[in-house]
Amino acid sequence: MTRLNTNQILAILIALLALGYLAMAFQIPSFPLPRPVDSDLFPKVLGFVLLGLAGLLFLERPGVDEVPHEPSAEERALPLLLRPWSRVVITALAIAAYALLLVPLGFVLTSTALVFGLARYYGYRRYGVNLATALGVVLVLYLLMTRVMDVYLPTGPLPL
Amino acid sequence: MTATPLTSRKPGLKRLALLALPLAALAGTSTAQADWEPTRPVEFIAPANPGGGWDTLVRTVSRVLQEEGLAERNFAPINVPGGGGAVAWAQIARDGGNPHKLFATSPPIILVPLAGTSRFDHSDFTPIARLITDYSIVLVPADSEYQDLNDLLEAVRENPSLSIGGGSAPGSMDHISMAGLAAAAGLEAASVNYIAFSGGGEAMTNLMGGHVAAVITGAGEAAGQLGEGSGIRALGVSSPERLSGVLAEVPTYQEQGIDYGFDIWRGVMGTPDMPEEAVAYYEALFVEMLETEGWQQARDQLGWLDAYQDGETFGAFLDAQREQFSEILGDLGLLGR
Amino acid sequence: MESLNNLMYGFGIALEPMNLVYVFAGVFAGTIIGMLPGLGPISALALMIPLTFAMEPSSGLILMAGVYYGAIFGGSTSSILLNAPGVAGTVATSFDGYPLAKQGLAGKALAIAAYASFVGGTISIVFLMLVAPLLGKVAVSFGPAEYFALMVLGLTAVVSLSDKSLVKGLIAAVVGVMISIIGIDLQTGTERYTLGTLHLLDGIDFLVVALGIFALAEVFYMLLRGGGGKEQPRNAIGSLKLSKSEVKDIAPPIGRSSVLGFFTGVLPGAGATIGSFLGYSMEKRLAKDGDTFGKGNIKGVAAPEAANNAACTGSFVPLLTLGVPGSGTTAVLLGALLVMGVTPGPAMLVDRPDVFWGVIASMYIGNIFLLVLNLPLIPLIAKILDMPRPLLLALILIFCMVGVYGMSFSIFDLLLLLGFGLIGLGMRLFGFPTAPLILALILGDIMEESMRRALQISGGDWMTFIDKPISLALLVVAALSLTLPLIKKLVVARRARV
Repeated sequence: MTRLNTNQILAILIALLALGYLAMAFQIPSFPLPRPVDSDLFPKVLGFVLLGLAGLLFLERPGVDEVPHEPSAEERALPLLLRPWSRVVITALAIAAYALLLVPLGFVLTSTALVFGLARYYGYRRYGVNLATALGVVLVLYLLMTRVMDVYLPTGPLPL
Repeated sequence: MTATPLTSRKPGLKRLALLALPLAALAGTSTAQADWEPTRPVEFIAPANPGGGWDTLVRTVSRVLQEEGLAERNFAPINVPGGGGAVAWAQIARDGGNPHKLFATSPPIILVPLAGTSRFDHSDFTPIARLITDYSIVLVPADSEYQDLNDLLEAVRENPSLSIGGGSAPGSMDHISMAGLAAAAGLEAASVNYIAFSGGGEAMTNLMGGHVAAVITGAGEAAGQLGEGSGIRALGVSSPERLSGVLAEVPTYQEQGIDYGFDIWRGVMGTPDMPEEAVAYYEALFVEMLETEGWQQARDQLGWLDAYQDGETFGAFLDAQREQFSEILGDLGLLGR
Repeated sequence: MESLNNLMYGFGIALEPMNLVYVFAGVFAGTIIGMLPGLGPISALALMIPLTFAMEPSSGLILMAGVYYGAIFGGSTSSILLNAPGVAGTVATSFDGYPLAKQGLAGKALAIAAYASFVGGTISIVFLMLVAPLLGKVAVSFGPAEYFALMVLGLTAVVSLSDKSLVKGLIAAVVGVMISIIGIDLQTGTERYTLGTLHLLDGIDFLVVALGIFALAEVFYMLLRGGGGKEQPRNAIGSLKLSKSEVKDIAPPIGRSSVLGFFTGVLPGAGATIGSFLGYSMEKRLAKDGDTFGKGNIKGVAAPEAANNAACTGSFVPLLTLGVPGSGTTAVLLGALLVMGVTPGPAMLVDRPDVFWGVIASMYIGNIFLLVLNLPLIPLIAKILDMPRPLLLALILIFCMVGVYGMSFSIFDLLLLLGFGLIGLGMRLFGFPTAPLILALILGDIMEESMRRALQISGGDWMTFIDKPISLALLVVAALSLTLPLIKKLVVARRARV
């Protein structure tokens, strides 16, 4: 058996998604009052169309630029934490952490920490400039939102 | 950075507010003899995005309280949108006993739980005051053949597919109001072919274009559309007596022999089990606010009608509303889905 | 002649010193609000209502209208520089604006955006002035059946927006519609795909998806492929100047998109976002070099920018002539006017000509202010790109998150933003075009809603879409726009064989 190409793997994943979507579509309750088209028709149509498209994708040859990118030797030489994929994963985790800490720690603290921390992690070495920019931008945003626009942002332990 | 409390100030009002607050404190406002006073800014939550009815109420009340120097502490308007209010209610319900948190409320606090999309309903919170009200109004295109409400209802009886638009989802305010009206006139509540639009404005646009036969929406929202040269005409309002202004010419349901009324009230509620002293403080505060010129001016501009009730009366009123709404929803077959 | 007199009267009001100050303050604040992702004109205006409480109605509306079109004007800046659309109406601008900026032509892209916005804005004010009273009728002639047909026509653009693989483009579009219908179904009140969480009851906000799939995904992509801190090419801003041939290139698209945008704006519910997409896809189809759209074609910046500003002006037609709001933003404006004691509608032209003509005149002035304000700022603003890359990436992230949080105050939405960022990254890595998803997301739920509304009104009769002339015409155009390119291809292929 030959190995599946990228499109075929994607097609299978999308087909699974479509099946899951359809399963949920069939659970949408019908509306007690008569309606020519009820809430479930559109989702059902969408689910079947997606399923059909997944089939077509399975048959389509992948384009040239869609072959998986092999890491270069140079990239593999980097420490694990600095490899490209690690950067994406760590950034994603940092955003998730930011979301969860925003309310308890407040906007100014978390945002400054996020900007400073990530810029540092991405390789910015001028810490003074980094901190000043991070704090400056965050404070301007904060004041603009809360004082001028009257939009409430969480304050956390700081009196800001 | 000074440790200024959370503010609700607009830039232009800022200076004014800074002056007004200490002055008010010096003058010793009349509510000072209450047993309880807020010790920090009061979070005043609009369970919706900026711009809607709840948001307008919250921002107007906060502004009037501040400009008139009535409250010792600021009222900070906060928007918590989502789920037609359900997101905010779930958040507030967790904050039992907190006397520094209020929210704006209206019929959805009863309708949304009845439709099954919120675990919390009005009985989970502390009623503080009903403040204002609006009424439903039934509209037709200016050149419509229907001259009064009974013409329209008769047409619905003969032709149940006659389309009647409204500004909210089925089972929500406008639909309940219309279905209740139909039921009171002896029709099947479920026989109204109610077309849901995403707002009263959209419903009225469709009415002007003749895409629906009639529309039910808030009288305040429709007032701007009526009058000379307008493409639409009003058949009736759900108020007990005639309203004023352009709406003075619109007969009530009662006048047309239909014994039915519908209020689109708005009020203020607090966290679950809010201490009685705090409730008393806010009640007194709102009574005082309703008397101020600032409030009356804002109220008239926004087309609101005062409809004050204190916390206890408001609570009983809410229970009665729940009865009324569940009956109509039951007739429609939409209850407890 | 009469409108000229009226316009002179309007200028008399708009040129009063205080009103000039308001126009300037409005467009300036609008530009800034537009640049910040997330915080759109709707919330900004809602928050401003109390400010205008005590104002003369004409001044209040002049100020607020300035904020509105200023925001649409300014929204292009972050779309072009950061791939983070500042307002929903400028999403389409990023399709070609951001590639241009990456090629070191940020200055040119921003300048084109500014000129196109100016021209689009100005052309549409002329329309607003001359034909507004007549257009009120057009606006209400669109009922549910007509909207359905319009949305179908809009969705045919998916074909031209998915360049490499049609199948992948269609998949993206279907997913876009799927996302758009999450939440409470307005027609029945039934919950769909909310996964039992309250946070999805209102559906997923368009900007969360747009910021995630464009801005956040771009940051991820740069981390993955751009080498982060290592290689740091100085991002040139490039010249602001346009050559004669470039001006010639963009003039027709700007003209066409201005007209298209204006009429889209007139229709209640359509607005700047749909206008900009329609303008973009129309130009892509008309252009001889249509296949370079999405890779940095200047016409791809000019068309949506002219269209969205024109649509913004167009949306004042139903507001001023009928008193009905055509969009969330004009709904807030309507509320503000009522508070100031003015009732927009047919009677306003007679009762309060000062408001009507004052605002129209002020828009001419505001557009000139915007151009004069923005052009000199371009080199300054584009300096953002000169920032060290690591710091810039971190700042883009925080901008997106402030935008999303400031809009919904929801931690859940921040996590959704992250999720869409990762989805966007996946789409880029596997060659799925993102524009069809965004387009379908905007049009999908309106299409479903209007279809079902139309059928409920017609009692389930599908002929309603064909019986109504406007609807029929739109559906025919949609069918033609789908089949013509195919027929053309077939003909060309046959000729090549012969």
